[in-house]
Amino acid sequence: MSSVNGAVPTTIIVAGLALAGYALLMTALNRRMNVPLLAAVGVLEILLLVEVGIIVAKLADGARPAQLPTLIGYLIATPLVPVAAAFWGLMERSRWGPAVIAVAGLVAAVLMVRLHQIWPVIHV
Amino acid sequence: MSEPMTSPEPTASRPDSTKTGPGRLLVAVYGLFALSASARAGVQIATKFSHAPVAYLLSAFAGLVYILAAVTLSIGSPTARRIAVLSCSVELVGVLAVGTWSLADPASFPDATVWSSYGSGYGFVPLVLPVFGLLWLRRWARRNRTGGTTVTSAEDAGEAAAGGVARGEGGAPGRGAKDVVADGR
Repeated sequence: MSSVNGAVPTTIIVAGLALAGYALLMTALNRRMNVPLLAAVGVLEILLLVEVGIIVAKLADGARPAQLPTLIGYLIATPLVPVAAAFWGLMERSRWGPAVIAVAGLVAAVLMVRLHQIWPVIHV
Repeated sequence: MSEPMTSPEPTASRPDSTKTGPGRLLVAVYGLFALSASARAGVQIATKFSHAPVAYLLSAFAGLVYILAAVTLSIGSPTARRIAVLSCSVELVGVLAVGTWSLADPASFPDATVWSSYGSGYGFVPLVLPVFGLLWLRRWARRNRTGGTTVTSAEDAGEAAAGGVARGEGGAPGRGAKDVVADGR
């Protein structure tokens, strides 16, 4: 079984951790949500959608993981993470808005590792 | 500690409900755990319940407690806060008890729960989360006590003062700015 290119998940992990670091810095400096942070969340969202697309293509090829329902759950939940965090963070007019974004960045990184555990053909 | 200059942005440190300010982060993380713990438990119970019934039932219970905490923290009424204190307490006791149990008797846990080994599989967030939740709720109860004028039943009176003007997000006017400053927020 050929493996999925690991470049995208690796990029997501790096981007997610970088986003978390930047957002936590904003929290520490008492900054609110701003446009650059939202743009970074948008970039993360696009990367996650690309990864979901790659995995869906893999499924369409006929390949199946051991736990298909779990994988499908992850495919649905993963792109929702940055969107939910952006909405929830934008509702906050304080330093804690970026803190919510930081959680989303960390979760994106963790999700890539979990996806690899669920289906090892997804390389990190 | 109560000087106003600790907050450069006036709105930055004036949470007006349990779901704003630091509560925004708490509700987000509780929501995340509510979703992941209950979804995971649901799949496990539906597909392979007999494999590790104790672990899966405990995961489902943990999921319910997280849902309860997320919902009550985002509602933030006095009653909701009481339920939130209860669910955070149950959660703390749960993670300590199940954590100890899973280390003492690994045979009962062929598959991990959210609370196994004190939540080590989840970066110990399940252990830290209820502590922060309880601290946040205590800060709230205390703020309402000091924020009110002559308060007998602290939480209810504080909430009534805020709720009398407007509910939820707009509840801030009910609580005078000087009260907030006096409380160090």
